[in-house]
Amino acid sequence: MHDINEDSDELIGRIVSELKTLPPVPADATARVLARVDAARRSETPGRFSRRFIISLPAAIGYALAATLAGFLIRGALPRRPEPTVAQVPNPPVAETLGTRTTIVPASANRRALQEAPVKVQFVLDAPRAKSVMVVGDFNAWDGSRTPLERDSTTGVWSALVDVHPGRHVYAFLVDGKTWTLDPRAPRTKDLDYGTQQSVLMVGLP
Amino acid sequence: MTARVASGQAPQALDSATAAAIAPIVEAARAEKLPVAPLYAKAREGQVQRVAVAKIEAAVRTLADRMRAANEALAPDASEQELHAAADAIKSGVPAETLRAMRKAGGDGSLAVPIGVLTQLIARGVPVERASMEVVALLQKGAVARNFIALEERVRQDVLAGRRPDESLDLRLKGIIPNLPQSAGASATGLSASSPKRPR
Repeated sequence: MHDINEDSDELIGRIVSELKTLPPVPADATARVLARVDAARRSETPGRFSRRFIISLPAAIGYALAATLAGFLIRGALPRRPEPTVAQVPNPPVAETLGTRTTIVPASANRRALQEAPVKVQFVLDAPRAKSVMVVGDFNAWDGSRTPLERDSTTGVWSALVDVHPGRHVYAFLVDGKTWTLDPRAPRTKDLDYGTQQSVLMVGLP
Repeated sequence: MTARVASGQAPQALDSATAAAIAPIVEAARAEKLPVAPLYAKAREGQVQRVAVAKIEAAVRTLADRMRAANEALAPDASEQELHAAADAIKSGVPAETLRAMRKAGGDGSLAVPIGVLTQLIARGVPVERASMEVVALLQKGAVARNFIALEERVRQDVLAGRRPDESLDLRLKGIIPNLPQSAGASATGLSASSPKRPR
């Protein structure tokens, strides 16, 4: 009967014999190899560098499973966010899709909102002796404290930039907090409610 | 209803007598889902001009009525800017029929600028019927905000130069209408400068 142990001993003996016949390795060989590898790594292009990060398929599957498991654990540990709510609109058109409730804003409302977006309007008044100038109008609810004008110290001209919606507006300047002053650069109109003169501003789209 | 910003705005800087006088008007408007910010603004406008409380109350009440009429004319979904413009137009004598015709002709675009230009043309001296008819016709021909602003600006310059407002309107429409998208179908509207009639 063939003895497996005898065969193994013979194979090991042959390997040892072959290794003993290999040429001797110089003492500085290891240092020289490491130096060349280091030099090659430094001279690598980004493309070549990125190839070193290609991982095997089993390793990738393992990483993905680990990441998924970690995600489940973290999600379970964190408090749940409340479901998003939808603003209540009187009789809104509603789309029901797999439990998601979506309020549809009419396209006309969006278009109008875009067309009515405020634009910056500059108000200017030459009043070098004034101590304060405010602009009051329907665009700021006639509240002068919202829009004081700033004085240019060299010219004495007062000015301010104000957000105004497109359309027709009426306004006036309040000089030193009490003097109703019309804009000399703008057309005028008589207000039928209070009987006073007002300046008129036409604002178009930006 | 289109979003109406700041419709629940508080009566900023109103004195107590004025605030009390207009409170029932404001509450009634709020109950009808009308924006109340313009009512407070009208009161503030009177207060800043040192107008008597009774006159302020009357002005706010009149504005509420005008806004009610404007809301009805521009139904079903007027924006706050449109209501503001329409209430001013009604104050200038523009009939509700014109506003309805403008809504119909203007599609889903904002009417704030066209209504504002209509009001200003009337303020310059163009007769209400004539101005109403032309503005509706422009909307039917596809005019947009910049066309209306350009028309108003040119009429203003002409009037400053001494031309009559209605003459100027005739002249300047000739420069604007040919450039409008639907000017070729203008005759289909049944409206023309030579046959003024109130839009229905």
